[in-house]
Amino acid sequence: MKVLVPVKRVPDTAGEKKIDPNDNTVDRESVESVLCPVNEFAIEEAVRLKESHDAEVTVLLVGPESAQPIVRKALSYGLDAGLQVTDDAIAGSDALGTARVIAKALEEQEFDLVLFGNQSTDARTCLVPAAVAELLGLPSLTYARHLEIDGGSVTVHREHEEGWDVVTSQLPAVVSVVEAINEPRYPSFKGIMAAKSKPLDVRSLADLGVEPEQVGANGATATMYEFKDRPPKEAGTIVEDDGTGAAAAQLADWMTEKKFV
Amino acid sequence: MSTTAPPTVTFALTEEQQLLRSMVRELLTERVTSARLREVMLGDEGYDAVLWRELADLGLVGLAIPEHLGGGGSGFVEVSIVLEELGRVLAPVPYLSSVVLGATVVATGGSEDQQARVLPDVATGSTRLALAHLDTAGRLTGPPGIRASRVADGWVLEGEAGYVVDGRTATDLVVAATTDDGLELFLVDAEADGVERTDVEVLDATRPMATVGFSGVRVDDANRLTGAEPMAALHAGLQAAVVAIACEQVGGTQRTLEDATAYARDRVQFGRAIGSFQAVKHRLAEMLVAAESARSAAHHAARVLATDERQELAVAAPLAKAYCSEVYEQATGDAIQIFGGIGFTWEHDTHLYFKRAKSTKLLLGDPKHHRSLLGDALGI
Repeated sequence: MKVLVPVKRVPDTAGEKKIDPNDNTVDRESVESVLCPVNEFAIEEAVRLKESHDAEVTVLLVGPESAQPIVRKALSYGLDAGLQVTDDAIAGSDALGTARVIAKALEEQEFDLVLFGNQSTDARTCLVPAAVAELLGLPSLTYARHLEIDGGSVTVHREHEEGWDVVTSQLPAVVSVVEAINEPRYPSFKGIMAAKSKPLDVRSLADLGVEPEQVGANGATATMYEFKDRPPKEAGTIVEDDGTGAAAAQLADWMTEKKFV
Repeated sequence: MSTTAPPTVTFALTEEQQLLRSMVRELLTERVTSARLREVMLGDEGYDAVLWRELADLGLVGLAIPEHLGGGGSGFVEVSIVLEELGRVLAPVPYLSSVVLGATVVATGGSEDQQARVLPDVATGSTRLALAHLDTAGRLTGPPGIRASRVADGWVLEGEAGYVVDGRTATDLVVAATTDDGLELFLVDAEADGVERTDVEVLDATRPMATVGFSGVRVDDANRLTGAEPMAALHAGLQAAVVAIACEQVGGTQRTLEDATAYARDRVQFGRAIGSFQAVKHRLAEMLVAAESARSAAHHAARVLATDERQELAVAAPLAKAYCSEVYEQATGDAIQIFGGIGFTWEHDTHLYFKRAKSTKLLLGDPKHHRSLLGDALGI
């Protein structure tokens, strides 16, 4: 089977991110760029499909040439090939613009399964996987915390607040995974050394037949006009134990209210 | 004499080396927490076997072992990256003892057959080598504590070897012994009859050492290393280890600098961050300058070792060991001051770094010893 894993370059999740007031986009100079950590779960699932179903896995990245190390990083986990869509016109795209580019790139590929992370750690819109499925007219299975392939179908456990639904679809399909799905492995030294020799195809918007005005800042349906710093953290709730045991009930109520339990 | 510059003068890492570093750092940050380190340090196992297994599976233990012997076939620059990261978290694994000391001596001193017999298992981590070459006084220039005598179909080893790094937990010992015809190197099963291993009390509990006694230990002729000349092979192992320690020290120094700087930014006293006081700020600035110089010295030595420039190595290795030792010791001592009261507590990790700095300063020769080697190499 053939699997495609779209990945994203994001500012380091742990780093302090800044927005450039000149164009209201993330200031890439201010923080290190990394492979989106949520993608690592999709990559791990793809590597498992390589092991169990002899899957051939291609990683897809939409981003500038400088993002190529991120494709190599993804390949170091043992994936087979890379596909990068690079074009100056893509800069400033919103989620739908990005989805358009990914969908066009996928149209040219043969695949049985597309494996997304359910969200990126920078924008956290969760929109791209479903938008790509819609544009391609394919089934969309989101928030997968478990995935099984059986012949021509895929079954996932779709996570929600009260548990999960079991959803089955014919292949090809678009699946987005959540972090509960697996524990990603680390790339091995062999994988790292092999990453550079894996084929990497670089395409432009013209190659894919995407009109530049459909993407980028001009094609975006969402525009950012203003941004503010996050407000300082407010003081938390303190539950005091007065010895009567009432505190336990208060704590339990609070946890239920916040949906921790 | 240092006559030729090494062929590579840039310390920039390749894309693969950067990926290797970030992978190892992520892995070790996740695995070697302060709690885990202390659990291993105070436990009986002597090293973190789970982490060791994982490092081996990722190909990090066999990094420099040739590919046809099951390793990664890389050079010492890659090994130095791993060492720096291990030193950064004080990872309690027998990397220095098995991968650097033991494997280098076998790779140099062993015949092709002996290498093929030992090194694949070193690469998978199932064999853990330890080098026994000192006497119990730990004299660097004296003869080994072990004597080997010829018998009909082999050798008999007698004596006591001191300061054997990871000696109690090793599966196999590489033993330097005096014979009637000079120094010889032997491979000895650590469980062999007559071998007795006792942990000794060490300052740095994250790196155990043992005294290894040999009484009438029989060794087959096949286990006497017959590759390069024994003294040269031992020297190669020790020189690689000296550079390895410098790389570890750089990792520890960098971590110390980062932690102390973060604390100085964070900790408020008299209404302002303590890092704004010159006494603290200048200490950190000096620590940064020293850390950068130490890194240059260690990286240079690692590159020289990787390219096997022997004349330059005679300069670069002792220089790196002498300098990085002093920088690490100073940095960890200063960090204790910057951390103030909390830095004096058992729960805080600074003392672990301080002890590693102290112990590695002496391990395989103190700065004075290495400066004297450097003087000899430079002919001054």
